[in-house]
Amino acid sequence: MRGKSTPKVTAELELTVNEKRVLLALDREASREEDQRSLSEKTGINEDAVMQTAFMLAQKGLCEIRGERKVYHHLTEEGKEYAEKRLPERRGLDLLPLPLPLQEFKNSFTDEKEANISTNWLLKKGWAQIEEKEGEKFLSPTGNTSWGCLGYNADEEFLRVVRGEGKLEESLLLYRVKERIPDLNDKWLNRILGELIKKRGLLEHNVEIKRRIAITETGKEVLSHGISVEEEIAQLTPELLRTGSWRGRKFKRYDVNLPSKEVFPAKIHPYQRILDRMRRIFTDMGFIEIKGEVVQSSFWNFDALFVPQDHPAREMQDTFYLSAKKPIDASEELIKKVKQMHERGGSLNSTGWRGEWKRELGEEQLLRTHTTAVTLRYLASHPEPPVKVFCIDRVYRHETIDPTHIPEFDQLEGIVMDKDVTFSNLLGCLSTFYNKMGFPAIRFRPGYFPYTEPSVEVEVYMRERGWIELGGAGIFREEVTNPIGVKYPVLAWGLGIGRLAMISLGLTDIRDLYQSDIEWLRKEQTGYSLNTE
Amino acid sequence: MPIIRLPYEDLEDLTGVSIEKIKERLPLMCADVERIEADYMDVEFFPNRPDLFSVEGVSRAMRQFLDIKPGLTSYKVEKSGIEMVVDSSVQEVRPYVVCGVVKNLRLDSRAIESLMLLQDHLHRGIGRNREKVSVGVHDLAKVKQPFRYLAVDPGFSFVPLDYEAAKRFDQTFSKFEMSMAEILERHPKGVAFRYILKGKDKYPLILDSKGDVLSFPPIINAELTRVTESTKDIFIEATGLNENVSIALNIIACALADRGGKIQSVVLHSLSRTSGRIEEKETPCLEPETMEISVKEVNSLIGIELSADECKLCCERMGLGASISGEETLVVKIPAYRHDILHPWDINEDIAIGYGYERIKPEIPETLVIGEVHPVEEKKRTVREIMTGLGYFEVLTFTLTSERKQFELMRQTFKKSLIVKVASPISTEYTMLRCSILPNLLEILSLNKHRNLPQRIFEVGPVVLKYKEKSRLAAVSTHANANFAEVKSVVDAVLKELGLEDAEVVESEDEAFLQGRRGSIIKNGKYMGIFGEIHPEVILNFGLSYPVVGLEVDIITSVRE
Repeated sequence: MRGKSTPKVTAELELTVNEKRVLLALDREASREEDQRSLSEKTGINEDAVMQTAFMLAQKGLCEIRGERKVYHHLTEEGKEYAEKRLPERRGLDLLPLPLPLQEFKNSFTDEKEANISTNWLLKKGWAQIEEKEGEKFLSPTGNTSWGCLGYNADEEFLRVVRGEGKLEESLLLYRVKERIPDLNDKWLNRILGELIKKRGLLEHNVEIKRRIAITETGKEVLSHGISVEEEIAQLTPELLRTGSWRGRKFKRYDVNLPSKEVFPAKIHPYQRILDRMRRIFTDMGFIEIKGEVVQSSFWNFDALFVPQDHPAREMQDTFYLSAKKPIDASEELIKKVKQMHERGGSLNSTGWRGEWKRELGEEQLLRTHTTAVTLRYLASHPEPPVKVFCIDRVYRHETIDPTHIPEFDQLEGIVMDKDVTFSNLLGCLSTFYNKMGFPAIRFRPGYFPYTEPSVEVEVYMRERGWIELGGAGIFREEVTNPIGVKYPVLAWGLGIGRLAMISLGLTDIRDLYQSDIEWLRKEQTGYSLNTE
Repeated sequence: MPIIRLPYEDLEDLTGVSIEKIKERLPLMCADVERIEADYMDVEFFPNRPDLFSVEGVSRAMRQFLDIKPGLTSYKVEKSGIEMVVDSSVQEVRPYVVCGVVKNLRLDSRAIESLMLLQDHLHRGIGRNREKVSVGVHDLAKVKQPFRYLAVDPGFSFVPLDYEAAKRFDQTFSKFEMSMAEILERHPKGVAFRYILKGKDKYPLILDSKGDVLSFPPIINAELTRVTESTKDIFIEATGLNENVSIALNIIACALADRGGKIQSVVLHSLSRTSGRIEEKETPCLEPETMEISVKEVNSLIGIELSADECKLCCERMGLGASISGEETLVVKIPAYRHDILHPWDINEDIAIGYGYERIKPEIPETLVIGEVHPVEEKKRTVREIMTGLGYFEVLTFTLTSERKQFELMRQTFKKSLIVKVASPISTEYTMLRCSILPNLLEILSLNKHRNLPQRIFEVGPVVLKYKEKSRLAAVSTHANANFAEVKSVVDAVLKELGLEDAEVVESEDEAFLQGRRGSIIKNGKYMGIFGEIHPEVILNFGLSYPVVGLEVDIITSVRE
């Protein structure tokens, strides 16, 4: 039928030069099957490329590829030893012209394992038997010394043949053994081969697949229409451009869908990109970034924040203290005011904590447990309004490391101090920040922190996770702002970043942020996206 | 923070409101619902509200919050006629004590469990693990007043509560009666809390008029006064190191009164140290304290516009008594079980909660400031751009590390004066703040041994030397052909991009690098960095098997720069 020739024409058109060459080479030896090496020699294309081309041709139905499985045998280390020294049972037989006490027989081997092998196979092959005389076991020869075929030791022949060749294809191995023992039947032949491999571990094999390639009828038909092998341009060269010889030539067509070699652009750490995004949001909102020291005094980290001296957060189980104490880095006047504030509320209408405030506890040095130590110091040195600052930095808590806890993490702290700022302004700052981070739904719930009043906890909504608490905020208590000379409300928040980062990066183990798997860094997409849907 | 178990049956009995309604409104009052089960829920309350550490307290707050019984809940205190003599010997060991009685109780197992849990939470919270405050509750019928609170010799013995536990704890224990010293030695509670009495010659004890023991505070009660379902009248004692003993007593007394009991007072006689006279005190005192607040300040602090009447309603919803005095002032009565009101703003917060945080409209402040990234961060951003351009991936690592990694594995001589060491590390791996970033990068390489080469990583971050923080860049490259020429090119590029071309390179003596293949970067006579081929021993110390080259350069030498 007419229609049948159409695909052939198409096929011809789509053949690459390599495909055409391979097809022609196959056709020249029409009746024979080719392997990749001979095809490579005939076409001048390297072996790998020949095979790839053959697969492409096979896909188009123009050739057939048959895989032939070949098993090659070689001796194991033990096999080599026995091939040289002979099998243990053979050496054992030499010791048995006459019956011998079993123990004495075994003792004549240097190696207990070999003595046992020898004994077992002597019995198994029926070359010897055990007799009991006066309570003692004797090993005595039976007179039989063949295995597999009368007059021969088939297993020894196997070892000898393989030893001579080093490595031998299975059918050839069986053929050689049969050459030596014509009367050995196939059942025994296979049984002994199996024994040598599986039971005795004297032979090992590996499997190679030999591919044979042959042209199909369709392939022949395509060729019968005639194909021309025109040299196609693979790589455009300066030479081709200069001489203009590229004109009128054919460019090799590439499969534009073929997978390419993976390359990765070097990147900023995904977590750093989240930190940068937060930084950007706050500067956009008109906040100035500030920084401070990692090592702080207990005074600035706790006392100036009106955290009572017996508060659990100040215990060794929660805070990293350093071994050395230092005089408090604040004026005597401020220290006195803080002391009075703790003890009975200073000059405010406050009761204070009603206990004695001890200076030496304020002198302890520690790794800051929150960046509030930094923002508070900034406030103390900038007591006049307005102040709008933020701080993104590392803080430390005495936590044992596990998938959800680490001893150091980053915190985002912000404050606004101005004449008429209110709690509703605090909620406004937090809403704007989380909206810009990609959370449309936010809610506020009552919270508690020793240094803020009113206090609030911020939660964002995520589908499938529900409401997630991400931060705490509040207005600094007057007990905090009064001693440092601040006269207006201070809106303040401290937001955990790690949890937000884990969610947005899809991590379940927070340690992964700080112990980077380079493969993850290579593959994690640069485009930051927070899936809050 | 304390997590309180609230059985639904109890909650419904005590509030008369459906569980569904409670579940919905509780988070808006001041709690985090941790877990919802078929017949109870676990709720986390804030540590400043010990009055909510029991199902009775929560139910009371819910009755107020849901407008079922708003305003101050008053508790009448009658006289019991019971007395306690406080001996001056307790001054040295546990000076504060208050007592109270609650009568006519009918306690089922749920009520007893709730009481025990409340006691536990109070011990942990305001009691600071029993050190500052501890409470004991006793079956009043088993003992005879007047009671005595005194400090005695550790050899004094009695039968402690749960003596069976002590028996299991120590097989050699065979008699029921134990001396106080033995209790600290063997009884699980004694072992757990003996740190509080460490170094004391005498231990606190509460006795009745016959010499029977009620309690050995803050360790354990006597078995004699165990509270059971047949207990009708309860004697409560709270001892400790500060005035919070009263709060603990008030909270327990009110919770028991909510179960139908009648609160009665106890008279305490003690010798005053200052006047030398016998002083009398009657406890518990459940008279509310008062505080005046300004309606104007409430509105300006919260950013809402409430009238005095509305403020009053919000107070009442939070269980505070309130009366309007003049146009702008509210006189607020604070119940004796509240521990968190130190200052008028604490009441302002209660008003905001009573009003409802969800009703407060978030508004951006009008404060105008021009935003600005800190110069250190600007510089770090530039460095990141340079390094990624050079084909290096950024990593972030911990700043806590160990002397072993920083010095030993890096072939460095230990310099004690240089480092900031923490007093109680979480493990031997994290004992100090890093003074170099390179070891962290080598550690990252060792975690990535199974990943394809080449690997090129950098970190720009802090190191702390002699208590001062610096920002540094460190980078490493590892692959079969990593060599000095490669790292020198990178160093030159970095210095040039940062405008530090005038820095000079001299041969270095740093043992972490190979001799003759290591350079120090010097600017204006000051050391600012190191680079070269990492020493083979260092490579092997980190379990690596390919050549590594690296650099570490100061970017900013002070955070305040």
